Formats: sequence, C-alpha cells, structure tokens
Amino acid sequence: MKVEILLFGRLTEIFGVTHLLLADVADTDAVRNRLEEQFPALKQVKYQVAADQLIIHGNKQLTDGMTVALMPPFSGG
Amino acid sequence: MKEKKLKNIFINGAVSAQFIAESIQKHQHNTTIGAHSIFLGQVRADQIGEEKVAGINYTAYEEMALNKMYEIREAIFEKYPVICLHVHHSLGLVPAGEVCLFVFCSSVHRKAAMEACDELVERIKAELPIWGKEILTNAAHQWKENK
Repeated sequence: MKVEILLFGRLTEIFGVTHLLLADVADTDAVRNRLEEQFPALKQVKYQVAADQLIIHGNKQLTDGMTVALMPPFSGG
Repeated sequence: MKEKKLKNIFINGAVSAQFIAESIQKHQHNTTIGAHSIFLGQVRADQIGEEKVAGINYTAYEEMALNKMYEIREAIFEKYPVICLHVHHSLGLVPAGEVCLFVFCSSVHRKAAMEACDELVERIKAELPIWGKEILTNAAHQWKENK
C-alpha cells in the first residue's frame, strides 16, 4: 500500500521536493514518525496534517492511494 | 443536491488595477446592487534587519484551497444577504506595492457587503492553504506566517 505525501512552504526546503511516495504507513502518525526519522529537521517545524484534503486532529487510518499533506502555518492574503 | 462548481480564485502574479476596475465595471449592469465592499491586500516592503521585503512568492495546495473556498463562500452566502462574492488571490511572485488579494462583495445595502467582506478576508487568511515566501532585497528569503 502506498500513500502520496505533499509538502508545502518551508517543508519543501527541508525535503528538497514537493511530493514523495511512502509505502506501508498504516496511519498519519506512522507518516509523521517515518518522515521525522528521515528528516529530523521536521521535528522543529510546526505543521498540520491533511488526509485527502481534510485536516486531521489526532491520528487517522490510511488506505492505499490516499494523499497526505504536511502544511506549515498558512500565510495567504 | 446542487452541483458543486469550483471557482478558480488564483491569478498568476499581481492583481492589476485594471483587472479590479474591470470587475467593478462588470457589476454596473446589476442594478439591484446598492453597495460594494472591496478589500485589497497589498505586499508591504517590511524592513527585515538591513534588508527589505522586495516581494512575496505565493504557492498553494490549490485543490484543497479551491474546495475550502467553495465551503467558505457557501457559508457566507448562507449567513449574509449578499448578491455576489468574488475572490482573487495571487500565485507566484508579487512585488512590494502590488496587490495579492482582491475580495469583492456586493449587496443591496452596505452592512451585508461590509460584514461579509470582513469575514471572508479573515477566513481566507486563516483557512486557505496558501504560503507566502518573503523575498528580501539581498535575495535571501523567509516564510511569512499569518497572525
């Protein structure tokens, strides 16, 4: 099972890309843990997580093909 | 259930004064309108240490932003007796002094347009997944954060 990860704002600088694919992540907590392990700088950044465009408070189960976005604080307008 | 029709709010680069003038003109045929309330967000040349902000480069999670904007529009139409609402936000680089956000609300009487416009701007800033990267005069940058 695979999920697509979308990165925005300052996170694109930490990762050096705007999206990546992760395999075998059961839920959004697993995504956070996996990415924070690979990119320790992520731990210093405040960000929200959205699964298929819905902001997650807490943890959410993922299924194959879902899109998880990591979003730093917004600054539109 | 009515069909969900997403409106594209994004404009490449700054919102021009001409675009704003044309939008106002387009509403002249609708004579039930008695009030327009317009908000224009302009890029400030903030002083950052020795440097200044030369411009802001905007990026967005476009798909989510358009869905969120649809939801906000519906809520505003429900709450206020407005005739129409238009929102335009820049993507890409907007130089200091130029307009990056144009919100246009029209109603029969002024109160509804003014209140709807105010609430729209607040919600756009708080809820739309848009990011501004402030480009400084020495080409360094920092990420903006809405207060």
